[in-house]
Amino acid sequence: MDVSTAVFAVSCSGTPINGTRALQKERQLNQFLAEVERRALRIAEIGVRDRDEALDLVQDAMIKLVRSYSDRGREEWAPLFYRILQNGVRDWHRRQAVRNRVMVWFGKKPSDDNDYDAIASAPDPIGRAPDEELSNTEAMERLDSAVHDLPARQREAFMLRMFEGLDVAGTAVAMGCSEGSVKTHYSRAIHALREQLEEHRPEGHGSQEGKR
Amino acid sequence: MNKPDDTFGRQVKATFDKSVDKLDAATLSRLNRGRHEALAELQRPRRQWSHWVPATGVAAAVLVAVMVLQSPTAVDDFPDAANVTDMEILLGEDSIEMLEDLEFYSWIDSADVVSDVG
Repeated sequence: MDVSTAVFAVSCSGTPINGTRALQKERQLNQFLAEVERRALRIAEIGVRDRDEALDLVQDAMIKLVRSYSDRGREEWAPLFYRILQNGVRDWHRRQAVRNRVMVWFGKKPSDDNDYDAIASAPDPIGRAPDEELSNTEAMERLDSAVHDLPARQREAFMLRMFEGLDVAGTAVAMGCSEGSVKTHYSRAIHALREQLEEHRPEGHGSQEGKR
Repeated sequence: MNKPDDTFGRQVKATFDKSVDKLDAATLSRLNRGRHEALAELQRPRRQWSHWVPATGVAAAVLVAVMVLQSPTAVDDFPDAANVTDMEILLGEDSIEMLEDLEFYSWIDSADVVSDVG
């Protein structure tokens, strides 16, 4: 940004703001988005099972956050960003449902998101032994599948709490529901995932743990 | 505090974090580009059309008001025209004569059928 742009930068509210403040805000937003973008991409990818679509959803969420909420405090950005992203994922599923109905109407086979191949979309191994890479990739694929198969609200609660590390209050803002609902969804998600993934857990992290 | 699902949670989180770390360069590049495009929004003033929303609302309200004020005339005109047409049909001499001679037309119709058969 050149000096004239910085000095006469215009805020989203349409009023001129101090150039230093504008630069600071841009720096904070850049830092925040750089921190969350990769996890956000994986969270969106698990939700829609398509990396390109997930990239579009994350970029849309970034643009909407900057456009509408850049004036909010930094601590509010994470819940707001994930709320926008989750809304985008839900809208994507609605559009897919309509598209599939139309395709059925015209006698075409609807797209099946189970065709998604996590192994194929995984990047080439970099500096890892083949066995370790395979094991990691398989674990990732199982985790992606298991989380994706959860009911939508459980999936959201689980990913926001476990993957993004939002607290209950932040997750409630992001999901647009009460904190009690977040706890219920999260607890059910953990229970379902434990049952589904337990058999694949390495030896020594046994099934006895959950019985304690 | 050692919750029962701590180990499970740590393993799941570790698997997720590995998948984040393994994102390829092309994907990271697209994320970076998307972030900078988003940040460019800071330099754009809010869309000007938003200032026109109140004016558009007022204009729409005025239009609706005009339509409502004008509508009684239009509504009144329609029944009048319809009534005139209906009355013309009902009072037309031919129609009434036909109604009076329904028995006659019915007899002719049956007679034709009989003669055709014969």
